[in-house]
Amino acid sequence: MILANYLAAACVFSIGLYVVLSRRNLIKIVMGLSLMESSTYLLLVSLAYRRGSTAPVLTSPPGTTSMSALARGNVADPVLQNFCLTAIVIGVAVTGVFLSVAVRIAQHYRTLDAGEVRALRG
Amino acid sequence: MSAAGLASLLPLPVAIPIGGAVCAPLAARIDRRAPLVIGVLGLLGSAAVLGAMAPRVLGGEILSHYMGGWVPVGGRALGIAFAADPFGLVYALAAASIGAVLLVSTLSELGELGPRELGGYACLFQLLLAALIGTALTADLFNLFVWFEVAALSSYGLTGFFLERPIALEAAFKVLTLTTLASFAIFIGATLLYANHGALNFAQLHAAVSGHPHTADMVALALLVCGFATKAGLVPFHGWLPDAHTAAPGPVSALFSGLMVSLGVVAIARIALQIYGPSGGRPILGLLMAAGVVSALVGAILALAQDDLKRLLAYDTISQMGVLVVGLATAVPSGVAGATYHLIDHALYKSLLFLAAGAIVHATGKTKLSEMGGLARHRPGTALAFTAGVVAIAGIPPLNGYPSLGLIHAALTESGQYAVNLAMLAAQVITVAALGRAAYLAFYRRRAEAYEAMVPPRTGMVVAFWTLGATCLAAGVFPNWILDHAAAPAASSLLHGAVYASGVLAAGVHLPALSVAFDYFKVGELLTVAATVLAGVLLAAAYLRIAEPRPIRALRALHTGSVNDYAAFAATGILCAVAVLAL
Repeated sequence: MILANYLAAACVFSIGLYVVLSRRNLIKIVMGLSLMESSTYLLLVSLAYRRGSTAPVLTSPPGTTSMSALARGNVADPVLQNFCLTAIVIGVAVTGVFLSVAVRIAQHYRTLDAGEVRALRG
Repeated sequence: MSAAGLASLLPLPVAIPIGGAVCAPLAARIDRRAPLVIGVLGLLGSAAVLGAMAPRVLGGEILSHYMGGWVPVGGRALGIAFAADPFGLVYALAAASIGAVLLVSTLSELGELGPRELGGYACLFQLLLAALIGTALTADLFNLFVWFEVAALSSYGLTGFFLERPIALEAAFKVLTLTTLASFAIFIGATLLYANHGALNFAQLHAAVSGHPHTADMVALALLVCGFATKAGLVPFHGWLPDAHTAAPGPVSALFSGLMVSLGVVAIARIALQIYGPSGGRPILGLLMAAGVVSALVGAILALAQDDLKRLLAYDTISQMGVLVVGLATAVPSGVAGATYHLIDHALYKSLLFLAAGAIVHATGKTKLSEMGGLARHRPGTALAFTAGVVAIAGIPPLNGYPSLGLIHAALTESGQYAVNLAMLAAQVITVAALGRAAYLAFYRRRAEAYEAMVPPRTGMVVAFWTLGATCLAAGVFPNWILDHAAAPAASSLLHGAVYASGVLAAGVHLPALSVAFDYFKVGELLTVAATVLAGVLLAAAYLRIAEPRPIRALRALHTGSVNDYAAFAATGILCAVAVLAL
């Protein structure tokens, strides 16, 4: 059923992109980008999945799994999970910067409409 | 020092500026200028370490270092690799040394700011430079993404540095949106490659994709190239670039335009030429060529129409990036060497021009060309620096634009791409016109009324002018020395992806020597320069007399300033690139 994950990731990504392209409210644009960001996490965790695998913790395997089965590599891909963690950390930082900029824009321009926040053009 | 000893120093050029960045806010408590001084010293230290590696690396040796001692076993690497090849080293060296010069200029231009501001500024500035050096040296795809993000985060801070200026905030929001979109593209591209091949090391990726890339590999290539093209400001991903440059302080614009934007081109060169290689990436060369030509023309035309001096220079950066990418996309030695040469040239003269523009704002408080004029009389030093930059961009010998542009033109003629060459010459004419018009309006026309109080120029700014100007001149006078010792080895590294790959995995690999020569007194090239300059001057004179023509007005109207529209351009660009490469 991992295909469902990929489809869900694609759907969430598309919704996020649609919001970024069509909504003029800056906060909504940030929300759209956050949705796109989350969809990449889902994609990554799904790519790391292997049928019947355990978590990539290489000490004291759970349940009936033997150490040798672990060594043969039936674990979820740790590298992709690692990417995912890195991306979450970066995503939080970027969203923080985004929102603080949006707050300052609201203070200076007295609006959050992207159609009105365009002193720089041409 | 032995090769292994030198290679173990590879993390230092990145670690020193990061250390400086961490210390900056603390040092500001002791003395408000201390963080900047630490930054200058740290960057000079980075440059010295890179300089110590230069003789070996530019001689064709590739030094590689694996973090934490996770060396490759049986050709498979788990650890993160740093590798110094000639191309990366040249860029890293330029970033470290020009970054130090820009900090010296900051020291006097923004020196009156408070300790908190200066601490934060020095921190972000050094972090951005560390990211640029890391990009140049890394040999790991995910690490490349991380450096991209470090550069992106610090550039957000620097764009919105003057939080009390509304346009800085607006620009920061646009930069954030477009760069975040780009980071998704890069992230998904890197993940696709890893999921397909189980590798992130450039050497292993080269082995996996350079022969017969799958469709998924080509999708990954399209996403990676589009992501980095956003950083490089290629059309249609360029919406953020002019805004960011307009709003930022002078030395920051110089850093963005001269160095940070080139990060995108460096990464594109690595991925498209070195990893995918010419056999796997034919369609990508066509795509890059098209993007380069369009960027060169659109950037130049929009530069011609600007009234804001820094915005004009920013649009010219888009044009210059287009020229660079065209040089890379020729994939012949003279073109790629010319592009590397142009990368250094651009870093030098664009920093010089932006510092001159910043100096004018500092002295008069004016940003619009229509409000300036007569500055050659009031500010002869700044006028000389700006004019030197314009002459260099125009490709007039003996300054440095002449050899690099000449090489790119020669490569296009060699490979029979006359239409592209013609477009390049047209872009060059418009560029000359745009910058000539700016120089005339700001410096050389007469101004009836006197300026109100003018702030005198500061030592640091003058030092930066002279350093950058003298380097521009030196880079133009000794083209064959630079070709032999920097540009040709760099081209060799980019064009011999397999050699680079084996150099990343094992020590003691030598790149084959490429011989690229530049004939300084070739009559054809000199005549071309004379013709483009003449046509450019005539165009500028004509443009000053007429109202804005309709096509240019339409092109400007397309740049609505709305972040939704710019995101739509970028998304369309990504879709087109994926379609072209994967179908």
